[in-house]
Amino acid sequence: MIRNLIFILAITFSFTATAQMIGDLDDVEKFRAETKQVNQFFRRFNGEENEDGKRFYPGDRDYRNSSLRKSFVRMLFDHENQGLDRQLAREFMSEVIDRSNPAYLDFHQDNWFAQVNATFLYEGQEKQAILFLKVEQEKLGYKWVISRIFFEPFLNYFIKDTTYNKKFLHPMSHELDFMNLKKAFSDQDSVEQYVDKGFRPDYLTLFLYEIRKKRLSFLSVKNVKFHFFQIDNWYFEVSDFNRPGMNTGWLISNLVKYKPEDKKMLKDFIFYEY
Amino acid sequence: MKKSILYIVSLIFVLSIQQGFSQDDNISPERKKAIDSLALEKVRDLSTYISIIGNKETPFSEANRVMDRAEELFVEDAEIGVSSLSREEINNYKVREYFNRLIQLSYDRVTIRWYNIHYISDLERQPDGRYVGVVTVYQRFEGVSDDGLNYRDTTKKDITIYVEKKKTQIRGRIVEFWDVLLGDIRVTETTT
Repeated sequence: MIRNLIFILAITFSFTATAQMIGDLDDVEKFRAETKQVNQFFRRFNGEENEDGKRFYPGDRDYRNSSLRKSFVRMLFDHENQGLDRQLAREFMSEVIDRSNPAYLDFHQDNWFAQVNATFLYEGQEKQAILFLKVEQEKLGYKWVISRIFFEPFLNYFIKDTTYNKKFLHPMSHELDFMNLKKAFSDQDSVEQYVDKGFRPDYLTLFLYEIRKKRLSFLSVKNVKFHFFQIDNWYFEVSDFNRPGMNTGWLISNLVKYKPEDKKMLKDFIFYEY
Repeated sequence: MKKSILYIVSLIFVLSIQQGFSQDDNISPERKKAIDSLALEKVRDLSTYISIIGNKETPFSEANRVMDRAEELFVEDAEIGVSSLSREEINNYKVREYFNRLIQLSYDRVTIRWYNIHYISDLERQPDGRYVGVVTVYQRFEGVSDDGLNYRDTTKKDITIYVEKKKTQIRGRIVEFWDVLLGDIRVTETTT
């Protein structure tokens, strides 16, 4: 115990000597303004914390206060993105902050997911893979799970000539116990012509298979962004901006107002399934 | 017996609040505040340890002892992922490896300072019942060598915290308490 006390005293002394806090006003203000975590993006969007990050809970006076939300949601946009339509952003803000029917984000609900651009080693070369992850409930809590993958090297294997199938199993093949399958499988470059027209390759299954076969290995995460469909008829993308100034951190980098019938098309576009 | 006094003081703080808690495993806002304090205490301990390890005047034997203590703050297998503005890839290090790299830096004078700002996320429950959160802090590093070489950077550190309910025996009585351990850390160089 005495040894511990001596150690603690030494640490305390060293602390005063070396671990100084910086009160550099400009930097502190920048970090204060930055949306530092995705968690903070949710809390600011919903008006569930104050400017200093102090958490509000249901029952607190300012919990989801609409004036607070108004100032927060405005600063959650990437102000340097000329591609973001200002008028559309204003329409979005007024809709989510509408006092009679406000809209909030919910970490535990569906309709939002992460896109992770990662580098893998495949057949001796560095290749980019795009992983889509979602939050899933299990037992006592939640976890992130991989729901889809887009991996370009797989793509070339499944490009199907849609003009017409030059090769097929004729409709009386069954009478010969499908002996013509031998021909179908003999040409690796045209085997996709023999499958169901509704066939969609499952890249995730292939990806896991290649990893299990040790032909594919993870190297690192390149960047991450998030896609939100939680606000009716609105889609927005959230990306991390590490740059000088006060408009930094996790911000809305893309905003689309869509018609319900276009939602699938929009998702297909995000998932590289167009 | 290996726990520091700071840690014991924090623990007693959480224990004393614990007496007023309900017995379920949900974390009330009051309990969250107590856990946040304990988490920050651990992060400050880590900050102090990093400053000592990085200080060139710290004798090697003491630095090693501090590294042992710093490692005790972490869960097993915790890693530190470091990226910089000049390169795309992230380098991952085991905690001890990270400390060893810090001690081997070739600067003659190193100053590590911490910005007076932090952010603590909500706590989310994992499938195994443990809670997990992230504490974000900012650090400024400055290294100067005798030949005038000067390097400085500002980094954002996103530190995983694991919160778990544990039991201990105090004077024959079983007392439940919430403990905090640090997990993976993501270090990102920032622009100021």
